[in-house]
Amino acid sequence: MRILTWLPGRLLGAAVVLVGASALIFAAVRFLPGDYAQIVLGPLASAQEREALRTEFGFDRTVGEQYLLWLGQAVTGNFGHSLASGQPVAGELAARLPVTALLTAMAVVWTVVIGVPLGILAGTRTGTTRSTAAGRLVSSLGVSVPDYVLAAVVVFALSSLPLGPSVGAVGAPAQDLGGTLLALLPPSLVLAVFTIAATARATRDAVLNVLVEPHVSAAVARGETRLFIITHHVLRNAAVPVLTLTGTITAMLLGGAVIVESVFDVSGLGSYLVQGLGRRDYPVIQTCVLLATTVFVLMSLIVDVVTGLLDPRVAVSGRSR
Amino acid sequence: MTKRLAVASTALVLLVPLAACGADPGPAADPAAEEEPGYLAVADTSLEGTGTLRVHLDYDTAEAAGLDPRSADVARSWSLMGLSYDTLVEVGPDFEFLPSLAESWRTPDPTTYVFTLRDDAVFSNGRPMTARDVRRSLEHLLESESTWAAQLGPVESVEETGEHEVTVRLEHPHTAFLGALANTPAGILPMEEVDGGSVDLTAEMVGTGPYVATEHIQDESWTFEVNEHYWGEPPAVERLEISIVADEFNRAAALRDGSADFAYFNNIDTLDQLEAEPAARVVFQENTDFYYLILNSANPGSPLADDRVRFAVNAAVDRNQLSELALGGHARPTGVAPATLPDACPAGELPSALLDDDEIAEILEEAGVTEVELSLVTFNSETAPGQIAQVVQQQLAGHGLSVDIDIVDDASFGAALYSGSTATDDMGVSWYAGYGDASMVSRWWNTDTAAFTADFMVGDPAVNDLVVQAGRTPRGPEREAVIADLCAAVDERSEVVPLVTRPSVIGYRTDAVSPTLHSVEGYGDILRNITDFRLVSS
Repeated sequence: MRILTWLPGRLLGAAVVLVGASALIFAAVRFLPGDYAQIVLGPLASAQEREALRTEFGFDRTVGEQYLLWLGQAVTGNFGHSLASGQPVAGELAARLPVTALLTAMAVVWTVVIGVPLGILAGTRTGTTRSTAAGRLVSSLGVSVPDYVLAAVVVFALSSLPLGPSVGAVGAPAQDLGGTLLALLPPSLVLAVFTIAATARATRDAVLNVLVEPHVSAAVARGETRLFIITHHVLRNAAVPVLTLTGTITAMLLGGAVIVESVFDVSGLGSYLVQGLGRRDYPVIQTCVLLATTVFVLMSLIVDVVTGLLDPRVAVSGRSR
Repeated sequence: MTKRLAVASTALVLLVPLAACGADPGPAADPAAEEEPGYLAVADTSLEGTGTLRVHLDYDTAEAAGLDPRSADVARSWSLMGLSYDTLVEVGPDFEFLPSLAESWRTPDPTTYVFTLRDDAVFSNGRPMTARDVRRSLEHLLESESTWAAQLGPVESVEETGEHEVTVRLEHPHTAFLGALANTPAGILPMEEVDGGSVDLTAEMVGTGPYVATEHIQDESWTFEVNEHYWGEPPAVERLEISIVADEFNRAAALRDGSADFAYFNNIDTLDQLEAEPAARVVFQENTDFYYLILNSANPGSPLADDRVRFAVNAAVDRNQLSELALGGHARPTGVAPATLPDACPAGELPSALLDDDEIAEILEEAGVTEVELSLVTFNSETAPGQIAQVVQQQLAGHGLSVDIDIVDDASFGAALYSGSTATDDMGVSWYAGYGDASMVSRWWNTDTAAFTADFMVGDPAVNDLVVQAGRTPRGPEREAVIADLCAAVDERSEVVPLVTRPSVIGYRTDAVSPTLHSVEGYGDILRNITDFRLVSS
């Protein structure tokens, strides 16, 4: 249970990171040119009308005052009201979060189910020139093709074939889980292309590194089967770097969801954030970005814990720091 | 814009072979062809289908005053709120005014309008509309001091002069009065309930119009059902499912795969993208809206503070080439009176259009302007402004003027040019709604009343006077002369230069709907004739 000795410190660190991030997010949003009054009142409004609207929303207070007010409410779960809709941000977020969570979870599943086996395959078949070249080409394409390009191509292809709706058909998971899963299949695959390629590459490199370890050579010398060596010696030792990367890119998928949701017209967290940014809907932007930051911090924490469980040396190292 | 352009162009390039594999749709119909004079499409009345129409729009209404139509400032708000609210008059295909809640009207003198109201109009809550509702609605609009209250003009009094009659008196003639009455912000409201506090206009829409909003998820969707108390013929479209789909490419995809029946586009290239779809018809609708180029005269540090330089820059912009290169030749060069309205002034006869390259060079040389770098800002929520900016950049480069373009989001654009302090950018590209009368948009050139222009316009008393005259002179030869003078004066001042009209594209599936569409639209209301639409099947 050495984990219990360093976990409280990590949790405290995570809390400090979140508070610091919230301040940065709040300030950054206020530094964006233009504001809600500019957008919603349009160019024809007078300066007085804009000022009146700013006062109505409390934007005439100092940024510090606004931040403390928002932070005080946020810790109680009240993230304010959307300036555009007048509805509580927490409620709007709760309505959209399940779709994004499902989209991201599906992308994680594709990443693990496709990326890890591909990496193992590539790592254990290095002798074949053709397969090595093909693997590199596929992984390079996967890493380098921007998701908005791929998403647009997929939308165009699906809308040109008689396969049913290509965009905007994603409903609420609670009402029709099967339909939602089906509709999220194309966007989740697009979202996962980068992470599959990156995970496959990382897994391949990790496997190659483990394969040259003395204990693997010893296993080969003992006449153990290839499958046994991979499952018992290679995978466990290669798991730490792969897990670290997978954890990081899982959090990054939320960023990718912003683009993919917009292109596939999915009403999730990403499209909510894009709409909020366009309107300078400060409460929406702050809450969405803070949520993404929280997910990132939590994923890092989970990876730390799991890595510590898999490799006690990491935990010791963490404690000594 | 850059991302969307990249998305669309990449998809098209990569999928040309896929598209080529489809069935040959044959020669595409002319998207601007009229089925009847003034109409791009006329609903096929032999169709007897009823049911749901799925519409995809580009953005949602998001007004500071919620659903209160009085302060609605943008076209989508007018379209959506116009489904529930009727106006006294409506605009016809030739910008003539037609009866709506007012079954007739007379003007005994140029400052008096007597409206005879329908006696069968009923609000969606079941209460019949009264003359009091009409009087109080107009008063309520005037009290709001909104942009549209100003468009309504110098209303002196509104009186109930009969059980079904309302009389409006103006302080002086105001030619655009009916044009202002014809748009949604002048919708007739259930004022008995509003005054009594039982209806909150910011949160609900209780009108005499054909539809009632039953669900709204901000920036996502609207559902409208037929108003059972509607005074007109029951619409064939019983339910409207409106999706807000921000991305142009997505709306095209939805039309292609059949998940949308009717969609709006503002990228003229969509005509080409969808013309190969056998089940979709795309039409090109002209608007009275037009793009303009701001030449900032308010910044003393800018070369454009010099009247001569602004006029030379204006003259260096070739509007015909601009239409060809940026808008596929579908836009009309225009002066301050929109080229698509009856009282338009020919752009080819404007003073700037008469200058040749040598004369432009002479003016610039005389002003001591050589090797100047100008900044230009525009916005990315539509594709055309960025394209127009690039063409302007190329055209000015031919005269030794270098232009640095900054394409930003809407809020940043607003901050650059409409912040309430002098703009520092030299130029800007945007567009104005043209409305239904030539004098309505020209108000934005009157610096005495259009305070928002102070950031980039110094203004000119002579122009201001002409704007006032254009608003007061009744339609006819005298007004045409005033408007011609106004167009020339605005052109010579070159502070905000009208460029070309702003066309739009409407797409619909012929296997789902047969719509009625005006060839030219003044208020961006693509659902204007929704009660005439026919559905192909139930």
